[in-house]
Amino acid sequence: MSEKPSAAQIRNPKTHYGNAKASTRHFITQRITGAINIIFTLFLVWLVVSLAGADATGKLALMHSPVAAIGLMALFVVVAIHMRNGMRDVIEDYFDGASERLAMAANTAFTLFVLVIALVALAKLVFWG
Amino acid sequence: MAPSSRPLSPHLSVYRFTLTMTMSIVHRATGIALYGGTLLLLLWVLAAAIGGDFFNCVNWLFGSWFGQLVLFGYTWVLFHHMLGGVRHFIWDFTKAMDPVGRELLVRLQLGASIALTLIVWAIFVWFK
Repeated sequence: MSEKPSAAQIRNPKTHYGNAKASTRHFITQRITGAINIIFTLFLVWLVVSLAGADATGKLALMHSPVAAIGLMALFVVVAIHMRNGMRDVIEDYFDGASERLAMAANTAFTLFVLVIALVALAKLVFWG
Repeated sequence: MAPSSRPLSPHLSVYRFTLTMTMSIVHRATGIALYGGTLLLLLWVLAAAIGGDFFNCVNWLFGSWFGQLVLFGYTWVLFHHMLGGVRHFIWDFTKAMDPVGRELLVRLQLGASIALTLIVWAIFVWFK
């Protein structure tokens, strides 16, 4: 999260990069959400396939069902955590200093944008039809 | 001691491409594609919530040949990234890390992701 490491730091094999505790948490979070996403992938394939087989009325009926809506809500929450975490890995590899902080903020903003709109839309489907 | 930031990734162009390296890049690329792809999922949920003409419009878009092409690609990307995650789980337990094992794992991943995509589309779209 700070400035570029010096050449001497990179040459020294004992240099510690980043925050050890936060990075371990990041790693474990990514593994747990990834494992949950295996189930959500199958759920999503099932849902999309069911919808593809239905006519327009059937499609809307299925989207209004609590199983679909609650499943999708949970999916969006776990996916949001996983995608933000994953994009963070990419940003750490290619950005430094101020551009890194800007990219991290943009990452959080995009994730929240997707998550909030999705949850509001799904809540509307369940509670207001 | 205050932690210093991690060094940046070196340029890809200095390496000869190997299978595991290529698949590592593909894992990252598919991850980034899925990151952007959540917008398609969002559009779909939004269309259902809003309904009416907007729903019909999105429904038509996903049903068009271009929409179907994108969804077909999306299916493969999703399965490939998922199986890439499974591959990392296996490596996390230090299994299949030898030259033969890791190359086999990567080949199995690519074969399985293509097979799963074709099976899902064949059963549920092409021959339903």
